[in-house]
Amino acid sequence: MNLAERLRAVVNHPGSRSGSASQPSAADPHAGSVAVPPGGRPEAGDLERVLGGEWRDAPHGRSFVVVHRYPANTFHGHAAIGDLASRLAGATAAAPLVSAAAARAPFLFFDLETTGLSGGAGTYAFMVGCGWFDPAGSFVTEQHLLVDYASERAMLHSVGRELERAGALVSFNGKSFDAPVLETRYSYNRMASPCLRLPHVDVLHPARRFWENGESCSLVALERQVLGVRRIGDVPGFEIPARYFRFIRSGDPRPLAAVFEHNRFDLLSLAGLTARLLHLIECGPSETRDAREALALGRTYSRGGLEGRAVASFEHALALCAGDTRCGGGTLCAGDTLGVGDTYLGDRRCVGGALHRGATSTMSVKVEALRSLAIAARRARRYEVAAARWRQVLDVPGCPRPILSQASEALAIHHEHRARDLATARMFALRTLGMKQEAAWGDAVRHRLARIERKMISERPLFPSSPSQPQPSCGSPRSGPRTSS
Amino acid sequence: MAHGYLAPTINAAARSGRDGALDAALARLVPGALPERPDSPDLHVTAVRWLEPVEAQFAAFPSGLDPRLRRALEARGITELYTHQAEAIGLALAGRHVVVITPTASGKTLCYNAPVLNAILEDPASRALYLFPTKALAQDQLAGLQGLCETVAAGSGEQIGVFTYDGDTPQDARRAIRGRAHLILSNPDMLHSGILPHHPRWAKLFENLRYVVIDELHAYRGVFGSHLCNVLRRLRRVCRHYGSSPVFLCSSATIANPTELAERLVEQPFEIVGASGAPRGEKYFVFVNPPVVNHQLGIRRSYLSETRRIASEFLKRNLQLIVFARSRLSTEILTTYLKDDFDGIPGAPERIRGYRGGYLPNRRREIEKGLREGAVRAVVSTSALELGIDIGALDVCVMAGYPGTIAATWQRAGRAGRRASRSAAVMVASSAPLDQFIVRNPAYFFDASPERALIDPDNLHILVDHVKCAAFELPFTGQERFGRHDLQQVLAILSEQGLVHRTGGSDDLDHPSDEGVWTWTSESYPADAVSLRSVSSDNFVIVDATREPRVIGETDFTSGPSTLHPKAIYIIEGRLFQVEKLDFEGRKAFVREIDCNYYTDAITYTKVTILDTFSAPPDTDVGRDTAERSHGEVHVVSRVVGFKKIKFYTNENVGSGELDLPEQQMHTTAYWVTLPAEVMALLPYAPDDRRDGIVGLSFAMQQLAQLLLMCDRHDIGISIETEDQSPRIFVYDNYPGGIGFSAPLYRMHEELLDGTRRLIAECGCENGCPGCVGPVGDSGALAKAAALRILDLLDERRAIGGGAGDREARTA
Repeated sequence: MNLAERLRAVVNHPGSRSGSASQPSAADPHAGSVAVPPGGRPEAGDLERVLGGEWRDAPHGRSFVVVHRYPANTFHGHAAIGDLASRLAGATAAAPLVSAAAARAPFLFFDLETTGLSGGAGTYAFMVGCGWFDPAGSFVTEQHLLVDYASERAMLHSVGRELERAGALVSFNGKSFDAPVLETRYSYNRMASPCLRLPHVDVLHPARRFWENGESCSLVALERQVLGVRRIGDVPGFEIPARYFRFIRSGDPRPLAAVFEHNRFDLLSLAGLTARLLHLIECGPSETRDAREALALGRTYSRGGLEGRAVASFEHALALCAGDTRCGGGTLCAGDTLGVGDTYLGDRRCVGGALHRGATSTMSVKVEALRSLAIAARRARRYEVAAARWRQVLDVPGCPRPILSQASEALAIHHEHRARDLATARMFALRTLGMKQEAAWGDAVRHRLARIERKMISERPLFPSSPSQPQPSCGSPRSGPRTSS
Repeated sequence: MAHGYLAPTINAAARSGRDGALDAALARLVPGALPERPDSPDLHVTAVRWLEPVEAQFAAFPSGLDPRLRRALEARGITELYTHQAEAIGLALAGRHVVVITPTASGKTLCYNAPVLNAILEDPASRALYLFPTKALAQDQLAGLQGLCETVAAGSGEQIGVFTYDGDTPQDARRAIRGRAHLILSNPDMLHSGILPHHPRWAKLFENLRYVVIDELHAYRGVFGSHLCNVLRRLRRVCRHYGSSPVFLCSSATIANPTELAERLVEQPFEIVGASGAPRGEKYFVFVNPPVVNHQLGIRRSYLSETRRIASEFLKRNLQLIVFARSRLSTEILTTYLKDDFDGIPGAPERIRGYRGGYLPNRRREIEKGLREGAVRAVVSTSALELGIDIGALDVCVMAGYPGTIAATWQRAGRAGRRASRSAAVMVASSAPLDQFIVRNPAYFFDASPERALIDPDNLHILVDHVKCAAFELPFTGQERFGRHDLQQVLAILSEQGLVHRTGGSDDLDHPSDEGVWTWTSESYPADAVSLRSVSSDNFVIVDATREPRVIGETDFTSGPSTLHPKAIYIIEGRLFQVEKLDFEGRKAFVREIDCNYYTDAITYTKVTILDTFSAPPDTDVGRDTAERSHGEVHVVSRVVGFKKIKFYTNENVGSGELDLPEQQMHTTAYWVTLPAEVMALLPYAPDDRRDGIVGLSFAMQQLAQLLLMCDRHDIGISIETEDQSPRIFVYDNYPGGIGFSAPLYRMHEELLDGTRRLIAECGCENGCPGCVGPVGDSGALAKAAALRILDLLDERRAIGGGAGDREARTA
């Protein structure tokens, strides 16, 4: 065997795991390409003609960009682009609540298409899609294409110019994927990465909090559920690298047209989700569609230190939960998510998909809202209110045990130290004891119980006239309610 | 012995209690023979050697050393250097690639730490990369290096970051380490799959890489070494891209060809520093051959029982010892035996421990710590503890069976040895032919040079894997070279698979031009599919389903079928588990703890098919098929077809079972001997006995091949083909693509046959034994005679002037 034959045997060896199924085979190197102009690679003009882009001069050569404008009056799902733009414009102040950094306008939405998901020097960002709302309310996308590997520096330069104008980057999962990949490309080319300087809002995590419903939390799932968008003929993500490789091998840009479309759609939906998210945060609980949104909103405020708005949101969530048990009352049942998202609540059919996710989930939202309210009240030193909320937690049918035990423990503490009702404190402590599973917790509760009982004995013949009398095993009243920690 | 009382430390009263205990234990083993006596091949103890203590030799600090570093070393009590340290540091400072040959505990780390820290003090941007063959070794060096760096920082104000970076490094710590580490302690696997493919993130390291340290160089032989060479090709390629050209500092245990190995691995010229200036305590080296218990069958007492007896003698006298076993199985058996010996003594189970690959890291760390602190008194280990993991210096090393190579034997013996007191190493021979050869010819061991480490970095399987990885890391140019083969042709074949694509230059695969650039055009991350240590990166995990399912160990893919087949007994630290189910697809074996008195041994069936003959004797083109010796490419199919149940202690066969497991296949290279039809026709035996003769011959040949190649037992496989008129005996490289053993064997053909003949003829048994053609029960009553007859006939044939090829050439 000559070297080539031996090499082929090695490369085709069953043990060697190379390539992927979507690679064109050796026998058909131009699979999928049609009408490559004679003479090998297509003319330079083909790119512009097929993809509708333009060439821009950059310090290291030319770079190819496709610009697309969605006018204000076109619709993405059930919202007009112009409305998304104005909602976002009115809500930019809310951005710091969902990102640690000081995010400010103008927002630049960005999304990469890459030659693989693994990262590393051999994973290229072959398309960098950027999008923003212009002053007229249109959504503009600029998509930079890596026309060949040699022109990467030129592309990165032109992307860098784009990013420099931004006040913040907005992405979907970009903190974990897109930004590191792009950073790698800049360092590969020994260029400074513009990503590092910019505040970055990754919508994935807040979106999960607001809209995750046990199903996929992919952009496509969310855009359907939240924005009412349905994609038709979208190119599946796993096919995208193969289409690019086909273009690289044949020079035929046609397989890329659908990839451009896909990337633009991603940018639009990202913008739509961001607008919805920030609008909600800006306008408050009255804008929420369901109890879960209201709960997530409350938590967002709470994390940002806006306790008043947080409490209002949690209360709104409770109200929506109450409405939910009546089904249909008060909650928004948008017709747009009919189909996959439909849920059935026993015989009470509800429309609105993820907005109603069954009795169990309504219960857990309710419990969480009550719990959050109790904690907020305690923090505000409104101990009676907190106790009332904890009692409400105990009344929720089917409430999970850990939360029940947290509630009864909080109530035991409240009655021991605040209300000074030792009998009730003892009752709640006993109740907690019945529910604690971990040995360490059980010990803490038993400890509390013993202390309460000691106090009951020592206080029985006396009036509680000397509160300053030292009580070695419990905190002074000024130290606030103690938790089991 | 006349010179027996010329021992250097005569004053018994002055000896420490430990020395006295050691002498007492040795006196029981070799009454009255200390310190030395002539070799006596037929006795129970065949050799006793006394290795005299060595005084330290010192040298001044090299002049180029930064005064701040010198002060830091002095602050740590290093006021002088050993001669080898001074020489190595001087060469490294002069920018030469250095390989230092050092015995255990001779201060080798300073040989590379000093130049590295010197470079960082000169220019704080400097970086160094340390490669250790295992994560554990890197971890082991971390504390010492950090301490040294702190001393340097205290005296100079220069903060030097030292970090390990390996598979155990938490994801969230990695970015910080990339930014802050001056010294990265890692391993070839992490460099291969975690660092090189992400080189843009490591730009700072690669721009400023001054030194690459490769510790335990001798560990990189065979497959691992061949892979490492390619990883280093990739490393140097990435360094070139970032404009750096690091100096390589290597350390190696004693092997025959350290410079050659370093030069083959790094593909750069090296300077060698060979003479150690470090002091050494006195040591006894004893060879033990278990006595023959059945003369007719040539059966000796089990070497495991003998090892157990000897180890117990030392252990009883509270000497701390390490017992090396040759396989995971014998490690577990010996651990069980020793624990049994001290059964009922409180605390004994915690003081006697097993140690091998497949134990989870926590358990290993605990045992290493116990050894250093003295809480663990005896450890039974596979080669896993042969490398430089710090377990402190022990009193005694007992080797159950010859470790297979001279280098490994010295390395293991080095585990015992304190500077100020006496130590001992005992090698207990098994009945395997190689062991018997060594134990009966001690001079071969004590006087011969240790073996050569062979690698074959241009094995196509390995090369192609790394070309893919390299293409992922940086595009290849049309002029670039990578290894011995034509890189452009390799890339052209990869482009047929769509893995790379060339832009610029000609598209004509038959006439590649040297223009253009090859870029990686696949979604995959090629390094993930390449394991540096085995055929496949796969492994099996062992799940104990006795109670709550939990993972208790792991095993590499190739040995999975033979050790984890259904009903196999899996042993871990003396506890027995039976495999209930092997989930081959899921790579899991479910085991349940049982109590039984046997272990299992798998029966593997192997078939070799010739694909291509590279060489036959030069003048035999006509008669290739009947040439006596050949080497070439073969296809090997092996399948575990059954197992035997072997009773502990007696090694009786107490049962067996059949198995139906998937077969494993590979392409590899082999050397083979063809026994010409006319030779077979001259044999005065029945066909079955002839077959036995061939089986016996192959058994002995494997041992000799191992000795001549100086390779591990698992590196070569053997198979016979007796269907044909002209039977064949294959010795194949046990790795896809071959690892370079078949060509040397082909060259050493006559030496191999002569040695085999001597081994069989000089063996004292009547009809074959495990020391020559294999146990009689396995090989048949006439195996020995038939094997010798075959060798005689081949010899005569050679003597009358050539093989079949010559004869055919003459008659043609």
